[in-house]
Amino acid sequence: MKIKFLVATLALAFSFTAPVLAQDDKDEDWDLYGDLALVDDAKVKRFAKPTIVGMSPTRFLSLSYDRQLPYIMNLSAARFPASGNSGWGVDEEAPTASSGDVTFTGGMRFNSTIPVISKASLVWQTGINYQRTGYSISAPSGQNKLSVLATALNDRGLNNLSWANTVFVPVSEQNFLIFQGSLDLSGDYDWGLQPLETVRWSLAAIYGKRVSETKRWGIGLARTYRVGNLNYVPVVMYDVTSPNRKWGTEILFPARAHGRYNFSKNSLLLFGYELEGQSYRIDPLSVGNNSYEIRRGELRPRLELQKQLSGPFWLNIQAGYRIDYSFDADELGGGNEFFRGFFGEQPFGMLNSLGPAPYFNIGISFVTL
Amino acid sequence: MKKLIAICAFMFACTYAMAQDANAIVGVWEPGNGKARVKIDNIDGKFYGRIVWLKEPNDPNTGKPKTDVNNSDASMKNVPLRGYRMLKDFQYKGKGIWEEGTIYDPESGNTYTSVITMKDANTLDIRGYVGVKTFGRSDTWRKLKVN
Repeated sequence: MKIKFLVATLALAFSFTAPVLAQDDKDEDWDLYGDLALVDDAKVKRFAKPTIVGMSPTRFLSLSYDRQLPYIMNLSAARFPASGNSGWGVDEEAPTASSGDVTFTGGMRFNSTIPVISKASLVWQTGINYQRTGYSISAPSGQNKLSVLATALNDRGLNNLSWANTVFVPVSEQNFLIFQGSLDLSGDYDWGLQPLETVRWSLAAIYGKRVSETKRWGIGLARTYRVGNLNYVPVVMYDVTSPNRKWGTEILFPARAHGRYNFSKNSLLLFGYELEGQSYRIDPLSVGNNSYEIRRGELRPRLELQKQLSGPFWLNIQAGYRIDYSFDADELGGGNEFFRGFFGEQPFGMLNSLGPAPYFNIGISFVTL
Repeated sequence: MKKLIAICAFMFACTYAMAQDANAIVGVWEPGNGKARVKIDNIDGKFYGRIVWLKEPNDPNTGKPKTDVNNSDASMKNVPLRGYRMLKDFQYKGKGIWEEGTIYDPESGNTYTSVITMKDANTLDIRGYVGVKTFGRSDTWRKLKVN
Protein backbone atom coordinates (compact mmCIF):
# COMPACT_ATOMS: atom_id res chain seq x y z
CA MET A 1 0.00 0.00 0.00
CA LYS A 2 2.77 2.32 0.95
CA ILE A 3 4.60 1.54 -2.27
CA LYS A 4 1.50 2.24 -4.36
CA PHE A 5 1.01 5.53 -2.56
CA LEU A 6 4.64 6.46 -3.12
CA VAL A 7 4.45 5.65 -6.84
CA ALA A 8 1.24 7.65 -7.19
CA THR A 9 2.78 10.60 -5.38
CA LEU A 10 5.89 10.53 -7.55
CA ALA A 11 3.82 10.24 -10.72
CA LEU A 12 1.77 13.24 -9.69
CA ALA A 13 4.86 15.21 -8.76
CA PHE A 14 6.62 14.45 -12.03
CA SER A 15 3.54 15.47 -13.97
CA PHE A 16 4.22 19.07 -12.85
CA THR A 17 7.51 18.98 -14.67
CA ALA A 18 6.01 17.44 -17.77
CA PRO A 19 6.42 19.40 -20.97
CA VAL A 20 4.09 22.23 -21.72
CA LEU A 21 2.98 21.52 -25.22
CA ALA A 22 2.88 24.44 -27.59
CA GLN A 23 -0.49 25.71 -28.47
CA ASP A 24 -1.70 25.53 -32.00
CA ASP A 25 -1.48 28.86 -33.84
CA LYS A 26 -5.25 28.89 -34.28
CA ASP A 27 -5.73 28.97 -30.53
CA GLU A 28 -3.25 31.76 -29.95
CA ASP A 29 -4.53 35.19 -29.05
CA TRP A 30 -1.76 37.23 -30.67
CA ASP A 31 -3.15 40.56 -29.53
CA LEU A 32 -2.43 39.55 -25.96
CA TYR A 33 1.30 39.94 -26.51
CA GLY A 34 1.16 43.52 -27.72
CA ASP A 35 0.06 44.80 -24.35
CA LEU A 36 2.74 43.15 -22.25
CA ALA A 37 5.15 45.26 -20.26
CA LEU A 38 8.70 44.46 -19.23
CA VAL A 39 9.07 42.87 -15.82
CA ASP A 40 11.98 45.18 -15.12
CA ASP A 41 10.70 48.53 -16.29
CA ALA A 42 14.07 50.26 -16.10
CA LYS A 43 14.63 52.23 -19.28
CA VAL A 44 15.75 49.92 -22.07
CA LYS A 45 18.37 51.25 -24.42
CA ARG A 46 18.19 50.09 -28.05
CA PHE A 47 21.27 49.85 -30.23
CA ALA A 48 21.98 50.07 -33.93
CA LYS A 49 23.15 46.81 -35.50
CA PRO A 50 26.62 46.79 -37.03
CA THR A 51 25.46 45.67 -40.48
CA ILE A 52 22.56 45.94 -42.88
CA VAL A 53 20.90 43.04 -44.68
CA GLY A 54 22.31 41.72 -47.92
CA MET A 55 25.93 42.74 -47.38
CA SER A 56 28.80 40.45 -48.22
CA PRO A 57 29.67 38.18 -45.30
CA THR A 58 32.11 39.27 -42.61
CA ARG A 59 35.34 37.31 -42.92
CA PHE A 60 36.65 35.98 -39.64
CA LEU A 61 39.58 34.19 -41.26
CA SER A 62 40.74 34.25 -44.85
CA LEU A 63 43.66 32.91 -46.81
CA SER A 64 44.25 33.98 -50.38
CA TYR A 65 46.79 34.05 -53.16
CA ASP A 66 47.35 37.28 -55.07
CA ARG A 67 49.14 37.48 -58.40
CA GLN A 68 49.85 40.24 -60.88
CA LEU A 69 50.61 39.54 -64.51
CA PRO A 70 53.87 40.85 -66.08
CA TYR A 71 54.59 44.56 -66.40
CA ILE A 72 57.47 47.00 -66.75
CA MET A 73 59.02 48.69 -63.72
CA ASN A 74 60.88 52.00 -64.13
CA LEU A 75 63.08 53.12 -61.27
CA SER A 76 65.00 56.35 -60.83
CA ALA A 77 68.34 56.48 -59.12
CA ALA A 78 68.18 56.50 -55.35
CA ARG A 79 68.89 59.79 -53.61
CA PHE A 80 69.14 60.38 -49.89
CA PRO A 81 67.46 63.64 -48.86
CA ALA A 82 67.58 62.91 -45.13
CA SER A 83 71.24 61.99 -45.33
CA GLY A 84 72.08 65.34 -46.89
CA ASN A 85 72.07 64.33 -50.52
CA SER A 86 69.04 66.21 -51.83
CA GLY A 87 66.38 64.41 -53.82
CA TRP A 88 63.90 65.53 -56.43
CA GLY A 89 61.05 67.95 -55.89
CA VAL A 90 57.65 66.36 -56.38
CA ASP A 91 57.00 68.36 -59.52
CA GLU A 92 60.26 67.46 -61.14
CA GLU A 93 60.71 64.66 -63.64
CA ALA A 94 63.19 62.13 -62.39
CA PRO A 95 65.21 60.36 -65.01
CA THR A 96 64.72 56.62 -65.25
CA ALA A 97 67.92 55.06 -64.12
CA SER A 98 66.93 51.47 -64.63
CA SER A 99 64.05 49.34 -65.78
CA GLY A 100 62.96 45.84 -65.04
CA ASP A 101 60.72 43.26 -66.64
CA VAL A 102 58.59 42.07 -63.76
CA THR A 103 57.35 38.58 -64.54
CA PHE A 104 56.06 37.74 -61.10
CA THR A 105 54.44 39.83 -58.39
CA GLY A 106 52.40 38.01 -55.83
CA GLY A 107 52.09 35.93 -52.73
CA MET A 108 49.90 34.66 -49.94
CA ARG A 109 47.69 36.82 -47.78
CA PHE A 110 46.20 35.93 -44.42
CA ASN A 111 43.60 38.01 -42.65
CA SER A 112 41.85 37.49 -39.37
CA THR A 113 39.05 39.37 -37.65
CA ILE A 114 38.30 37.86 -34.26
CA PRO A 115 35.44 39.19 -32.17
CA VAL A 116 36.71 40.03 -28.70
CA ILE A 117 33.46 41.66 -27.59
CA SER A 118 30.38 41.14 -29.67
CA LYS A 119 27.20 42.29 -28.08
CA ALA A 120 24.45 44.74 -28.91
CA SER A 121 26.08 47.63 -27.03
CA LEU A 122 29.65 47.15 -28.27
CA VAL A 123 31.54 45.21 -30.91
CA TRP A 124 35.33 44.97 -30.79
CA GLN A 125 37.13 42.88 -33.37
CA THR A 126 40.85 42.34 -33.55
CA GLY A 127 43.04 40.51 -35.99
CA ILE A 128 46.52 39.81 -37.27
CA ASN A 129 47.09 40.11 -40.99
CA TYR A 130 50.01 39.11 -43.15
CA GLN A 131 50.60 39.95 -46.77
CA ARG A 132 53.51 38.70 -48.83
CA THR A 133 54.53 40.18 -52.17
CA GLY A 134 57.33 38.36 -53.90
CA TYR A 135 58.93 39.66 -57.09
CA SER A 136 60.72 38.22 -60.05
CA ILE A 137 62.43 41.03 -61.94
CA SER A 138 64.87 40.70 -64.77
CA ALA A 139 66.93 43.34 -66.53
CA PRO A 140 65.63 44.19 -69.99
CA SER A 141 67.87 43.53 -72.94
CA GLY A 142 70.58 46.16 -73.23
CA GLN A 143 70.75 46.68 -69.50
CA ASN A 144 73.21 44.46 -67.75
CA LYS A 145 72.24 44.80 -64.14
CA LEU A 146 69.38 45.59 -61.83
CA SER A 147 69.24 48.51 -59.45
CA VAL A 148 69.67 48.01 -55.71
CA LEU A 149 65.91 48.34 -55.18
CA ALA A 150 65.02 45.83 -57.89
CA THR A 151 67.59 43.41 -56.49
CA ALA A 152 66.16 43.83 -52.99
CA LEU A 153 62.65 43.19 -54.26
CA ASN A 154 63.89 40.15 -56.17
CA ASP A 155 65.80 38.71 -53.27
CA ARG A 156 63.57 39.57 -50.34
CA GLY A 157 60.19 40.71 -51.59
CA LEU A 158 57.87 42.85 -49.51
CA ASN A 159 56.04 41.86 -46.35
CA ASN A 160 53.29 43.53 -44.42
CA LEU A 161 52.38 42.40 -40.93
CA SER A 162 49.58 44.26 -39.24
CA TRP A 163 47.48 44.23 -36.12
CA ALA A 164 44.07 45.70 -36.85
CA ASN A 165 41.24 46.59 -34.51
CA THR A 166 37.71 47.71 -35.22
CA VAL A 167 35.36 49.02 -32.57
CA PHE A 168 31.69 49.57 -33.31
CA VAL A 169 29.92 51.72 -30.73
CA PRO A 170 26.17 52.14 -31.18
CA VAL A 171 25.05 55.32 -29.46
CA SER A 172 21.35 54.87 -30.16
CA GLU A 173 18.97 52.71 -32.15
CA GLN A 174 20.14 54.41 -35.36
CA ASN A 175 23.40 56.23 -34.71
CA PHE A 176 26.79 54.68 -34.29
CA LEU A 177 30.52 55.32 -34.23
CA ILE A 178 33.17 53.15 -35.84
CA PHE A 179 36.86 53.33 -34.97
CA GLN A 180 39.35 51.39 -37.02
CA GLY A 181 43.02 51.32 -36.17
CA SER A 182 46.00 49.32 -37.28
CA LEU A 183 49.70 49.02 -36.65
CA ASP A 184 51.70 47.98 -39.71
CA LEU A 185 55.21 46.69 -40.02
CA SER A 186 56.07 46.76 -43.70
CA GLY A 187 59.31 46.10 -45.47
CA ASP A 188 61.69 43.65 -47.09
CA TYR A 189 62.37 41.92 -43.78
CA ASP A 190 62.65 38.24 -43.06
CA TRP A 191 62.19 36.40 -39.76
CA GLY A 192 64.35 39.01 -38.05
CA LEU A 193 61.74 41.69 -38.87
CA GLN A 194 63.02 45.29 -38.79
CA PRO A 195 63.35 48.21 -36.34
CA LEU A 196 60.08 48.82 -34.55
CA GLU A 197 60.46 52.56 -35.15
CA THR A 198 59.16 51.77 -38.63
CA VAL A 199 55.79 50.60 -37.32
CA ARG A 200 53.21 52.85 -38.97
CA TRP A 201 49.77 53.49 -37.55
CA SER A 202 46.51 54.16 -39.29
CA LEU A 203 43.24 55.27 -37.77
CA ALA A 204 39.75 56.02 -39.00
CA ALA A 205 36.82 57.41 -37.08
CA ILE A 206 33.35 57.40 -38.57
CA TYR A 207 30.03 58.68 -37.36
CA GLY A 208 27.15 56.88 -39.03
CA LYS A 209 23.44 56.41 -39.15
CA ARG A 210 21.64 53.14 -39.77
CA VAL A 211 18.60 54.51 -41.49
CA SER A 212 16.87 51.15 -41.94
CA GLU A 213 17.57 47.45 -42.30
CA THR A 214 18.74 48.18 -45.84
CA LYS A 215 20.60 51.46 -45.60
CA ARG A 216 23.29 53.14 -43.57
CA TRP A 217 25.71 55.97 -44.16
CA GLY A 218 28.58 57.54 -42.36
CA ILE A 219 31.20 60.27 -42.55
CA GLY A 220 34.56 60.51 -40.89
CA LEU A 221 38.26 61.10 -41.11
CA ALA A 222 41.16 58.74 -41.65
CA ARG A 223 44.89 58.79 -41.15
CA THR A 224 45.95 56.38 -43.82
CA TYR A 225 48.77 54.93 -45.88
CA ARG A 226 46.53 53.62 -48.62
CA VAL A 227 48.09 55.95 -51.16
CA GLY A 228 51.58 54.96 -50.06
CA ASN A 229 52.64 57.86 -47.93
CA LEU A 230 50.91 59.28 -44.90
CA ASN A 231 47.72 61.13 -45.62
CA TYR A 232 44.65 62.48 -43.88
CA VAL A 233 41.47 62.03 -45.87
CA PRO A 234 37.73 62.38 -45.31
CA VAL A 235 35.82 59.10 -45.30
CA VAL A 236 32.35 58.43 -46.61
CA MET A 237 30.51 55.20 -45.88
CA TYR A 238 27.40 54.31 -47.84
CA ASP A 239 25.90 50.83 -47.71
CA VAL A 240 22.53 50.15 -49.20
CA THR A 241 20.55 47.12 -50.35
CA SER A 242 17.64 47.33 -52.78
CA PRO A 243 14.13 46.28 -51.64
CA ASN A 244 14.40 43.02 -53.59
CA ARG A 245 17.82 42.47 -51.98
CA LYS A 246 19.48 41.85 -55.34
CA TRP A 247 21.45 45.07 -55.71
CA GLY A 248 23.43 47.15 -53.31
CA THR A 249 26.53 49.14 -52.53
CA GLU A 250 29.39 48.65 -50.09
CA ILE A 251 31.30 51.90 -50.02
CA LEU A 252 33.99 53.12 -47.66
CA PHE A 253 35.36 55.89 -49.82
CA PRO A 254 38.18 56.45 -50.65
CA ALA A 255 39.54 53.08 -49.46
CA ARG A 256 37.04 51.03 -51.45
CA ALA A 257 33.77 51.34 -53.29
CA HIS A 258 31.78 48.44 -54.68
CA GLY A 259 28.44 47.83 -56.25
CA ARG A 260 26.94 44.49 -55.29
CA TYR A 261 24.71 41.99 -57.03
CA ASN A 262 23.40 39.13 -54.91
CA PHE A 263 22.75 36.09 -57.08
CA SER A 264 21.36 34.37 -54.01
CA LYS A 265 22.08 34.20 -50.31
CA ASN A 266 25.03 31.98 -51.15
CA SER A 267 26.75 33.93 -53.88
CA LEU A 268 27.30 37.54 -54.84
CA LEU A 269 29.34 39.71 -57.16
CA LEU A 270 31.12 42.91 -56.15
CA PHE A 271 32.28 45.39 -58.78
CA GLY A 272 34.32 48.46 -57.99
CA TYR A 273 37.77 49.23 -56.71
CA GLU A 274 40.03 49.12 -53.69
CA LEU A 275 43.00 51.26 -52.80
CA GLU A 276 45.85 49.27 -51.33
CA GLY A 277 49.00 50.70 -49.89
CA GLN A 278 51.64 50.92 -47.23
CA SER A 279 55.08 52.33 -46.62
CA TYR A 280 57.72 49.58 -47.00
CA ARG A 281 61.21 49.89 -45.55
CA ILE A 282 63.97 48.67 -47.88
CA ASP A 283 66.88 47.49 -45.81
CA PRO A 284 69.77 47.78 -48.31
CA LEU A 285 68.91 51.45 -48.89
CA SER A 286 68.37 52.34 -45.24
CA VAL A 287 71.49 54.12 -44.04
CA GLY A 288 72.29 54.31 -40.35
CA ASN A 289 69.14 55.06 -38.39
CA ASN A 290 67.36 56.35 -41.45
CA SER A 291 64.58 54.34 -43.05
CA TYR A 292 64.30 54.23 -46.81
CA GLU A 293 60.69 53.45 -47.66
CA ILE A 294 58.77 52.62 -50.78
CA ARG A 295 55.46 54.49 -50.69
CA ARG A 296 53.46 51.78 -52.39
CA GLY A 297 49.91 52.69 -53.36
CA GLU A 298 47.78 50.74 -55.84
CA LEU A 299 44.37 51.31 -57.31
CA ARG A 300 42.62 48.04 -58.04
CA PRO A 301 39.46 48.23 -60.12
CA ARG A 302 38.00 44.74 -60.04
CA LEU A 303 35.25 42.18 -60.03
CA GLU A 304 34.94 39.90 -57.04
CA LEU A 305 32.85 36.76 -56.89
CA GLN A 306 32.04 35.41 -53.45
CA LYS A 307 30.40 32.00 -53.25
CA GLN A 308 29.56 29.69 -50.40
CA LEU A 309 31.41 26.39 -50.56
CA SER A 310 30.03 24.70 -47.47
CA GLY A 311 28.62 26.12 -44.27
CA PRO A 312 30.72 29.10 -43.19
CA PHE A 313 33.42 28.46 -45.81
CA TRP A 314 33.31 30.76 -48.81
CA LEU A 315 35.35 31.03 -51.99
CA ASN A 316 36.51 34.49 -53.11
CA ILE A 317 37.79 35.18 -56.60
CA GLN A 318 38.94 38.62 -57.69
CA ALA A 319 40.01 39.69 -61.16
CA GLY A 320 40.95 43.18 -62.09
CA TYR A 321 43.63 45.64 -62.95
CA ARG A 322 46.43 46.89 -60.76
CA ILE A 323 47.14 50.55 -61.48
CA ASP A 324 50.19 52.12 -59.90
CA TYR A 325 49.36 55.15 -57.80
CA SER A 326 52.74 55.43 -56.13
CA PHE A 327 55.91 53.40 -55.97
CA ASP A 328 58.06 56.38 -55.08
CA ALA A 329 60.42 56.32 -52.12
CA ASP A 330 61.31 58.53 -49.18
CA GLU A 331 64.25 58.54 -46.87
CA LEU A 332 62.96 59.11 -43.36
CA GLY A 333 65.48 60.63 -40.99
CA GLY A 334 65.73 58.44 -37.91
CA GLY A 335 62.79 56.44 -39.25
CA ASN A 336 60.46 59.30 -38.33
CA GLU A 337 57.39 59.76 -40.47
CA PHE A 338 56.46 63.12 -41.98
CA PHE A 339 53.32 64.44 -43.62
CA ARG A 340 53.44 65.33 -47.29
CA GLY A 341 49.79 64.78 -48.21
CA PHE A 342 48.71 65.58 -51.73
CA PHE A 343 50.33 68.99 -51.86
CA GLY A 344 53.54 68.78 -49.84
CA GLU A 345 56.80 69.66 -51.55
CA GLN A 346 59.24 67.49 -49.65
CA PRO A 347 61.65 65.86 -52.08
CA PHE A 348 61.33 62.16 -52.80
CA GLY A 349 64.26 59.82 -52.65
CA MET A 350 63.11 57.98 -55.76
CA LEU A 351 60.43 58.59 -58.37
CA ASN A 352 59.36 55.22 -59.74
CA SER A 353 56.57 53.91 -61.87
CA LEU A 354 54.99 50.54 -62.53
CA GLY A 355 53.17 49.67 -65.73
CA PRO A 356 49.55 48.63 -65.21
CA ALA A 357 48.90 44.92 -64.92
CA PRO A 358 45.93 42.58 -64.73
CA TYR A 359 45.76 40.70 -61.45
CA PHE A 360 43.76 38.00 -59.76
CA ASN A 361 43.25 36.87 -56.22
CA ILE A 362 41.74 33.58 -55.12
CA GLY A 363 41.04 32.62 -51.55
CA ILE A 364 38.94 30.84 -49.03
CA SER A 365 37.28 32.43 -46.03
CA PHE A 366 35.57 31.46 -42.83
CA VAL A 367 32.69 33.86 -42.55
CA THR A 368 29.58 34.88 -40.73
CA LEU A 369 26.57 36.28 -42.55
CA MET B 1 11.60 1.19 3.50
CA LYS B 2 12.47 4.51 5.09
CA LYS B 3 15.72 4.49 3.18
CA LEU B 4 13.88 3.94 -0.11
CA ILE B 5 11.50 6.78 0.63
CA ALA B 6 14.39 9.05 1.52
CA ILE B 7 16.23 8.23 -1.71
CA CYS B 8 13.08 8.72 -3.78
CA ALA B 9 12.33 11.99 -2.02
CA PHE B 10 15.89 13.20 -2.65
CA MET B 11 15.71 12.22 -6.33
CA PHE B 12 12.36 13.90 -6.66
CA ALA B 13 13.65 17.04 -5.02
CA CYS B 14 16.66 17.17 -7.32
CA THR B 15 14.60 16.51 -10.45
CA TYR B 16 11.99 19.04 -9.45
CA ALA B 17 14.60 21.66 -8.69
CA MET B 18 16.34 21.00 -12.02
CA ALA B 19 13.03 21.25 -13.87
CA GLN B 20 12.19 24.45 -12.08
CA ASP B 21 15.58 25.92 -13.07
CA ALA B 22 15.14 24.73 -16.65
CA ASN B 23 11.68 26.26 -16.87
CA ALA B 24 12.94 29.62 -15.69
CA ILE B 25 13.35 30.43 -19.37
CA VAL B 26 9.71 29.74 -20.13
CA GLY B 27 7.81 32.95 -20.78
CA VAL B 28 7.62 35.86 -23.18
CA TRP B 29 10.81 37.76 -23.95
CA GLU B 30 11.75 40.85 -25.91
CA PRO B 31 14.99 40.90 -27.94
CA GLY B 32 17.31 43.87 -27.63
CA ASN B 33 16.02 45.61 -30.75
CA GLY B 34 12.44 45.62 -29.39
CA LYS B 35 11.08 44.68 -32.80
CA ALA B 36 9.58 41.36 -31.76
CA ARG B 37 8.48 39.31 -28.79
CA VAL B 38 9.25 35.65 -28.43
CA LYS B 39 7.42 33.10 -26.33
CA ILE B 40 9.62 30.29 -25.06
CA ASP B 41 7.99 26.96 -24.22
CA ASN B 42 9.20 23.66 -22.88
CA ILE B 43 8.20 20.92 -25.29
CA ASP B 44 9.22 17.41 -24.34
CA GLY B 45 12.13 18.68 -22.30
CA LYS B 46 13.51 20.93 -25.04
CA PHE B 47 12.93 24.65 -25.32
CA TYR B 48 11.49 26.42 -28.33
CA GLY B 49 10.73 30.06 -28.97
CA ARG B 50 8.03 31.42 -31.24
CA ILE B 51 7.61 34.98 -32.47
CA VAL B 52 4.31 36.08 -30.96
CA TRP B 53 4.41 39.80 -31.67
CA LEU B 54 6.01 42.07 -34.23
CA LYS B 55 6.41 45.81 -33.83
CA GLU B 56 5.82 46.10 -37.55
CA PRO B 57 3.55 43.14 -38.38
CA ASN B 58 2.93 44.06 -41.99
CA ASP B 59 5.35 44.30 -44.88
CA PRO B 60 5.51 48.04 -45.73
CA ASN B 61 5.80 47.19 -49.43
CA THR B 62 2.76 44.93 -49.67
CA GLY B 63 0.71 45.87 -46.62
CA LYS B 64 0.28 42.17 -45.92
CA PRO B 65 1.48 40.28 -42.84
CA LYS B 66 5.24 39.72 -42.91
CA THR B 67 6.41 36.31 -44.03
CA ASP B 68 9.78 34.61 -43.93
CA VAL B 69 10.85 36.15 -47.25
CA ASN B 70 14.56 35.92 -46.46
CA ASN B 71 14.60 32.18 -45.94
CA SER B 72 16.81 30.46 -48.48
CA ASP B 73 14.28 27.60 -48.55
CA ALA B 74 11.73 28.74 -51.12
CA SER B 75 8.99 26.67 -49.49
CA MET B 76 9.32 28.77 -46.32
CA LYS B 77 9.07 32.20 -47.90
CA ASN B 78 5.29 32.39 -47.46
CA VAL B 79 5.28 31.22 -43.86
CA PRO B 80 4.04 34.02 -41.58
CA LEU B 81 6.68 35.42 -39.24
CA ARG B 82 4.18 35.71 -36.43
CA GLY B 83 4.10 32.26 -34.95
CA TYR B 84 7.48 31.40 -36.47
CA ARG B 85 9.65 29.15 -34.33
CA MET B 86 12.98 31.02 -34.26
CA LEU B 87 14.52 29.23 -31.26
CA LYS B 88 14.77 25.47 -31.50
CA ASP B 89 15.99 22.46 -29.56
CA PHE B 90 17.59 24.13 -26.54
CA GLN B 91 18.43 21.83 -23.66
CA TYR B 92 19.04 22.89 -20.11
CA LYS B 93 22.60 22.17 -19.00
CA GLY B 94 22.36 23.55 -15.49
CA LYS B 95 23.73 26.77 -13.99
CA GLY B 96 21.31 28.88 -16.00
CA ILE B 97 22.63 27.76 -19.40
CA TRP B 98 20.64 26.32 -22.31
CA GLU B 99 22.65 24.90 -25.18
CA GLU B 100 22.52 22.72 -28.30
CA GLY B 101 19.86 24.92 -29.87
CA THR B 102 19.66 27.18 -32.87
CA ILE B 103 18.45 30.71 -33.42
CA TYR B 104 17.02 31.92 -36.70
CA ASP B 105 17.44 35.55 -37.74
CA PRO B 106 14.45 36.43 -39.96
CA GLU B 107 16.14 39.66 -41.09
CA SER B 108 19.00 37.82 -42.71
CA GLY B 109 17.45 34.39 -43.18
CA ASN B 110 20.36 32.77 -41.39
CA THR B 111 20.37 30.15 -38.67
CA TYR B 112 23.09 30.14 -36.04
CA THR B 113 24.12 27.73 -33.34
CA SER B 114 23.13 29.34 -30.08
CA VAL B 115 23.58 29.30 -26.34
CA ILE B 116 21.29 31.03 -23.86
CA THR B 117 22.57 32.22 -20.50
CA MET B 118 20.25 33.53 -17.82
CA LYS B 119 21.88 36.66 -16.38
CA ASP B 120 19.11 37.17 -13.85
CA ALA B 121 15.47 36.14 -13.55
CA ASN B 122 14.41 38.75 -16.11
CA THR B 123 17.38 38.90 -18.45
CA LEU B 124 18.74 36.44 -21.01
CA ASP B 125 22.00 36.64 -22.88
CA ILE B 126 21.49 34.94 -26.24
CA ARG B 127 24.60 34.26 -28.32
CA GLY B 128 24.42 33.11 -31.91
CA TYR B 129 27.62 31.86 -33.47
CA VAL B 130 29.27 30.05 -36.34
CA GLY B 131 31.32 27.01 -35.46
CA VAL B 132 32.79 28.15 -32.16
CA LYS B 133 31.36 30.63 -29.68
CA THR B 134 34.14 33.12 -30.35
CA PHE B 135 32.75 33.79 -33.81
CA GLY B 136 29.39 35.08 -32.70
CA ARG B 137 27.31 37.92 -31.40
CA SER B 138 25.27 38.30 -28.24
CA ASP B 139 21.96 39.98 -27.62
CA THR B 140 20.15 40.76 -24.39
CA TRP B 141 16.52 39.69 -24.08
CA ARG B 142 14.23 40.98 -21.35
CA LYS B 143 11.26 39.24 -19.79
CA LEU B 144 7.72 40.51 -20.16
CA LYS B 145 4.98 40.32 -17.56
CA VAL B 146 2.29 37.84 -18.47
CA ASN B 147 -0.95 38.35 -16.57
